Amino acid sequence: MTTSWPIALTVNGRSRTLEVLAHHTLLEVLRADLALTGTKECCLVGECGACTVLVDGESVDSCLMLAVEADGAAVTTVEGLADGDRLRPLQRSFLASGAAQCGFCIPGQLVSAEALLALTPHPTKAEVEEGLAGNLCRCAGYEQIIEAVLAAAAAELPT
Amino acid sequence: MRPFAYARPTNLADTVALLAADGPEARLLAGGTDLIIRLRDGSIRPRIVVDVKRIGELDGEIRQGDGTLTIGALTTMTAIAADERIRRDFTALAEGAAVVGAVQIRNRATLAGNISNASPAADTAPSLLVYGARVVVAGSAGPRRIAIDDWFVRSGVTALARDELVTAVELPIPAGRRGAVHVRRTRRRGHDLASVTLACAVHPDGVTRLAYGSLGPRPVLVGDDSGLLADGGASDHAKADLLDRLFADASPSPRSMRASPDYRLAMLRVLGLRAVRAAVGRLADVERAG
Amino acid sequence: MNGDGIGASPERVGGLARVTGRQVYVADVHLDDVLHARLVGVPCARARIVSVDASAALAVPGVRLVLTAADLPQPIPRFGPQFQDRPVLAVGEAKYHGEPVAAIAAETPDAAEAAAALVRIEYEELPAVVSISAALDPAAPLVQDPSLRDGDPLAATNVLRLHRYGWGDVDAATADVVVEGTYTFPMVTQFAIEPHGFMAAPDGDGIAIWSAIQHPSWLQRVIAGLLDLPLAKVRVFSPDPGGGFGGKQHAKYEPLVAFMALRAGRPVRLVLSLEETFQAVRRGASEIRVRSGFRHDGTLAFRDIEANYLIGAYADIADRTVAKGSYTANGPYVVPAARTVARSVLSHTTPSTAFRGFGNPQQIWAVESNMDEAAHALGIDPTELRLRNLAHRGDAFIPGDTPADGEWRTVVERAAEMIGWGSPLPPGRGRGLAVGLKSGPTTGLSYSTVRLLADGSVVVNAGTSDMGQGARTIFAQIAAQELGAPIEWVSVVMGDTAVVPYDQQTSASRSSVLMGNSILNACREIQAKLRAMAARAEGIDPSEIVVDRGEVRIGARVLPIRDVLIRGLGRLGGELIGIGEMRKEAEPEHPLGGTAAFFEFNCTAVEVDVDRETGDVVIARHVTVSDVGRALNPMQVRGQDEGAAVMGLGHTLMEQYIYDDAGRIRNLGAIDYRIPTSMDLPLLMESDIVENEDGPGPYGSKGMSEGALLCVAPAVAAAVREATGVVIRDLPLTPERVWRAIQDTAARPEAAARPDAEPGPRAAPG
Repeated sequence: MTTSWPIALTVNGRSRTLEVLAHHTLLEVLRADLALTGTKECCLVGECGACTVLVDGESVDSCLMLAVEADGAAVTTVEGLADGDRLRPLQRSFLASGAAQCGFCIPGQLVSAEALLALTPHPTKAEVEEGLAGNLCRCAGYEQIIEAVLAAAAAELPT
Repeated sequence: MRPFAYARPTNLADTVALLAADGPEARLLAGGTDLIIRLRDGSIRPRIVVDVKRIGELDGEIRQGDGTLTIGALTTMTAIAADERIRRDFTALAEGAAVVGAVQIRNRATLAGNISNASPAADTAPSLLVYGARVVVAGSAGPRRIAIDDWFVRSGVTALARDELVTAVELPIPAGRRGAVHVRRTRRRGHDLASVTLACAVHPDGVTRLAYGSLGPRPVLVGDDSGLLADGGASDHAKADLLDRLFADASPSPRSMRASPDYRLAMLRVLGLRAVRAAVGRLADVERAG
Repeated sequence: MNGDGIGASPERVGGLARVTGRQVYVADVHLDDVLHARLVGVPCARARIVSVDASAALAVPGVRLVLTAADLPQPIPRFGPQFQDRPVLAVGEAKYHGEPVAAIAAETPDAAEAAAALVRIEYEELPAVVSISAALDPAAPLVQDPSLRDGDPLAATNVLRLHRYGWGDVDAATADVVVEGTYTFPMVTQFAIEPHGFMAAPDGDGIAIWSAIQHPSWLQRVIAGLLDLPLAKVRVFSPDPGGGFGGKQHAKYEPLVAFMALRAGRPVRLVLSLEETFQAVRRGASEIRVRSGFRHDGTLAFRDIEANYLIGAYADIADRTVAKGSYTANGPYVVPAARTVARSVLSHTTPSTAFRGFGNPQQIWAVESNMDEAAHALGIDPTELRLRNLAHRGDAFIPGDTPADGEWRTVVERAAEMIGWGSPLPPGRGRGLAVGLKSGPTTGLSYSTVRLLADGSVVVNAGTSDMGQGARTIFAQIAAQELGAPIEWVSVVMGDTAVVPYDQQTSASRSSVLMGNSILNACREIQAKLRAMAARAEGIDPSEIVVDRGEVRIGARVLPIRDVLIRGLGRLGGELIGIGEMRKEAEPEHPLGGTAAFFEFNCTAVEVDVDRETGDVVIARHVTVSDVGRALNPMQVRGQDEGAAVMGLGHTLMEQYIYDDAGRIRNLGAIDYRIPTSMDLPLLMESDIVENEDGPGPYGSKGMSEGALLCVAPAVAAAVREATGVVIRDLPLTPERVWRAIQDTAARPEAAARPDAEPGPRAAPG
């Protein structure tokens, strides 16, 4: 029952091969086996989005994916957004807008926002609200997060 | 989560054989957005989880042909909500798919999974009923088609046999246009499970189909052939009376956390009337557009 | 960049780590030989524990330890910030749904989970009280063992404490109009996005604890006491919490993992599931009856309040929330006679604890709703009614306490102006307004050290917990401003009791004022040393030198601090160290142990649209204005105020625990406990601040972060009333509740929009 499965995937652009147990989620494997603790555990039922990662470009709740399902996939976590010390426009915009307070929801927000802007480069406020609805935040009341996404989309950073 | 075995068959024959052998010990895994939750909370404890996503004969494509729109078993809610043909000809299904959870859920949740999970509150069920969908399944006895109204048995139970799996959902393409809408009641504007979920389609010949979910063990299809609901000139009062008769079998659970029975029934009436109004209006728009 | 100094909004210190996934939260801390812990309870609100058989659990490969009360020192160690009532593990009786009876430590989380399912607990379910009426029933089972409440006259009841506050003679007061109502506030939970996490490891002959605790020094004291260790051998690492809101103020399972770590001789890590956090922390629920007497001109003649708060099975800090919230229950008003009687009522439920607002939102819900009803009874505009009764600056509106310390009228007028109070509304829309007052800390003690390093860069050591409010950033701003360093040259070190000096706690919106002043004082000490240094170098008297912000002024010459420092330190280098202390002493005669350091004051005004057929309430506009003294970082102030406003909308519109008949929580977890998402926001949210530099904190600042939550609920309910005519006195205003109220009112139109008011001269009944 505890035979492990070999999987091969890319994580943040880097090829990884590892053995995983079938009942371990992608979230657990990212955090424990790959030491990528930027992706967070919260509700574990796909409601809060703290565990959001990109799988083949689509935003998913990694708590609802088994690690074995990611075999052959390209996974992007928050750690994979910046290019070395060069931040993504969204990351810079989050900083400039004060979007991060406690910061715990922010990895998920950033990943979801990246996916949103990839599909809809110039979203309306309503589209941003809907695009981020799967990412709960308890600190910010969302306003500054939404502004940060709109600002990044407009390629204007607030002065 | 408790450990389980995992299989990733690459063809239908192997899959069916696995299901036939393991029977009730096996669970099918498509999007995982329902299954993983139940594995985590221990409400199901399968010996083996069978991942359908590598089966060669299955895909997530939407194909049109022979008067039928065929939605592959692996088609996600995101794909359904975005598909131009579904948005135009099966609007209520696009709207239902668009409110299943949030983006992250919709990117994984499949239509096949949604109807197989058979929650009475499944948001795609009312529109599939209203559109007369058919579920295509494969099994040891060979492929068969199951009318969607025969598919839902009760909460969590479908007409699927133990050794079967869904391979596609078929939607008959209507000859003419219709006006259709999906509406629902939730506790907040953000993503939520519905306490009432309802679809309505109004046809040019005056036939109206309604289906509602979350008021009973399975979603329910009703219809009005009299033309009253579809009649733009008929009074709300008359329509409401007819809707009350059509909804007579609604039986909301007294134990639900989401809404009390009397509120649910009241909302069924409110949503029913609003849905009829909206569907009639959409049909008029379509007919005006020529 | 946004500019650096006080009043500017430099980017958050710690922001870079938060946007790159590098911020380390307690669950991200990895120790090599850690054991994974799991809690085991019984599925009851209350049960007698007959026996615990751990043999099958211990046989699971990888399991190292299964701990029950029997394995702990006897009598079982107990802890709690107010009363030492909470056992480290349930002993004899599990007193709330989720109280742990056993704890497992294993090599892997899988092994711990497998073992948890194999612990055989033999138990007998017992009748539980989970409501105020049930708990107050004379025949009710007692939640707490009377023998633990020695000398307490209430020991034979479920009333933990009875508080009486007030002044004047309410019974002798006369009024023209009396308005009375009973208002209820539900059980809600903090739902920080980071679930609680705890880790403990033997550390030489002492112990190290990791916890996202808001009060690290306090936790250090608790652990030292329980383990009989000197403070110096207890090291608390407190990573920035992923949200606290009060739910991480006090020890929960740190004592348990500490005992487990010492027993196992290895680190033990426990991270709660979200469901377990709902079982661990919540706000006190309440039923509050308010009876207010007014003169015809709307001025208050008296206010009489009786409040019952439903707290949990163990006191935690809940009784303090009842005391503090009830002490200011009358609100920011001048009232000749006021009386508040408040009870903390024990129950077999999750121990309630601190939660943003600290006992005030419950009272404010009641009193402000009552004010709105009074406005209607009197025929006076609700905003005007507030203005007529608001205390003016300097009024001793609570005799014996700090006088009103702000221009509160200005705040109300600003909110009214922003919402367009009095202007015509579209049909079906309603407007409501309410005010909220909360007292800041009553005692406090914050130490800090500031080190001006040889190149002019700065290290600040401060024990505040930055859980999102941005304490790190404003501390850096203060040091940057006072010592002339760019903010990128300031490091703020927190979260390690071995390195950071004592801070009493992070609560009551105190940190800008108490720790801020402490850091300011430390900087002033460094400035004094710089003056002495410059005086030696120049051969003049230090009194001829001014060090102000980043500059050293000698006569007409102005030198950057850095230049003076480098020259003054000379060949040996070194640094200048300042130690700051900010203290607010206890006043033992005061009912709360001390007067308020400051008050938080907020006015919230909203416009709502109500769908009468479904009961849906949409906040079309939400205006929130807070009196902050001075916004040290306006961007962070806005983030906190708007965040607090949306959190307030949570308990106003959708949050509540749902129990079954046996007292078990039904809606554990995120699927059926609803908090606002980005799609549930007011259509237009506007926040503003009033700055009069009249606070006791650095540069005239006051504490903030709780104000904007305080009066959301009554403002919304008032708006719903204006839109629909229905008065609702129970939260949350779910669509179903609003719909039902509309239905009920429609069925009895004679009861519509009529509060329990009696016109005509009348004496308050005795």
